[in-house]
Amino acid sequence: MTVPLISTATVGHEFGPYDVTIPTERANAYAKAVGGAESPDYGDSLAPTMVVAAALTELIEDLGLFSGGLQTIHAGQEVSWTRPVKIGEKLDAIGRLAANSVRRGNHFATVSVSYKDSTGSEIGTSSTTIIVIGEES
Amino acid sequence: MTTNNSHRSAGDVLTGFERQITQDRVDAYAEASGDHNPIHLNEEYASTTQFGTRIAHGMLSLALVTEMLASEFPDTWHDGGKLKVRFSAPVFPGEIVTTYGEITGISEEDGQIIATCTIGCKKTDGTDAVSGRATVALE
Repeated sequence: MTVPLISTATVGHEFGPYDVTIPTERANAYAKAVGGAESPDYGDSLAPTMVVAAALTELIEDLGLFSGGLQTIHAGQEVSWTRPVKIGEKLDAIGRLAANSVRRGNHFATVSVSYKDSTGSEIGTSSTTIIVIGEES
Repeated sequence: MTTNNSHRSAGDVLTGFERQITQDRVDAYAEASGDHNPIHLNEEYASTTQFGTRIAHGMLSLALVTEMLASEFPDTWHDGGKLKVRFSAPVFPGEIVTTYGEITGISEEDGQIIATCTIGCKKTDGTDAVSGRATVALE
């Protein structure tokens, strides 16, 4: 079995950049998943957590957590955003492994992500903590 | 339309809402996020995991919490809002969750009036699926 990157990557390891541009179809799927009578009108903007989720999917793939039958728990999440994001707006996400340890046989990893627009300006950040159950280093 | 939140004060309760997390919603969230992990989508696979069945994406539950914040603070949540949460319990398709929030403090930072809120969503048995804190400008 291939050793997942989470077992070998050291703190400071960089991920991406990932293109996390969200097209209309995915924004519509988000509205279907989340929406209801109480939902705010986003107009042509997006909920920033959707951009975070798109980056997280790429990170989990790169960390090797979609393969090999590993059981992963999303334990914690931080998000901050400095301005609204438009549907279809070009955004890149760059991740950095901020912590990576094994405790009692479980793997704990935290990945920080910076989101940049087409000008290179940071418009948001996130930090995700993941636990991989029973994963030996 | 702008919303004046300058009158808000500590102790104000945010308007939560209920949502049933159906498998259709989980499937749609997989399309939206690109996260097609079988633990969310494939019952046969999910039955072999510690949960014994499919679970919703944690980010889907968090998305509901941010819907509440975007409704309460439509002019400012996406423009300087911050949150920090933990995912305390899995949500299984078919379960109903209720979002909640309360302003616990008001402060001034860099000339802006900032509200600090406890936030989260609970399952019908009262356990938190998501819990944490958010900060948002009031105007």
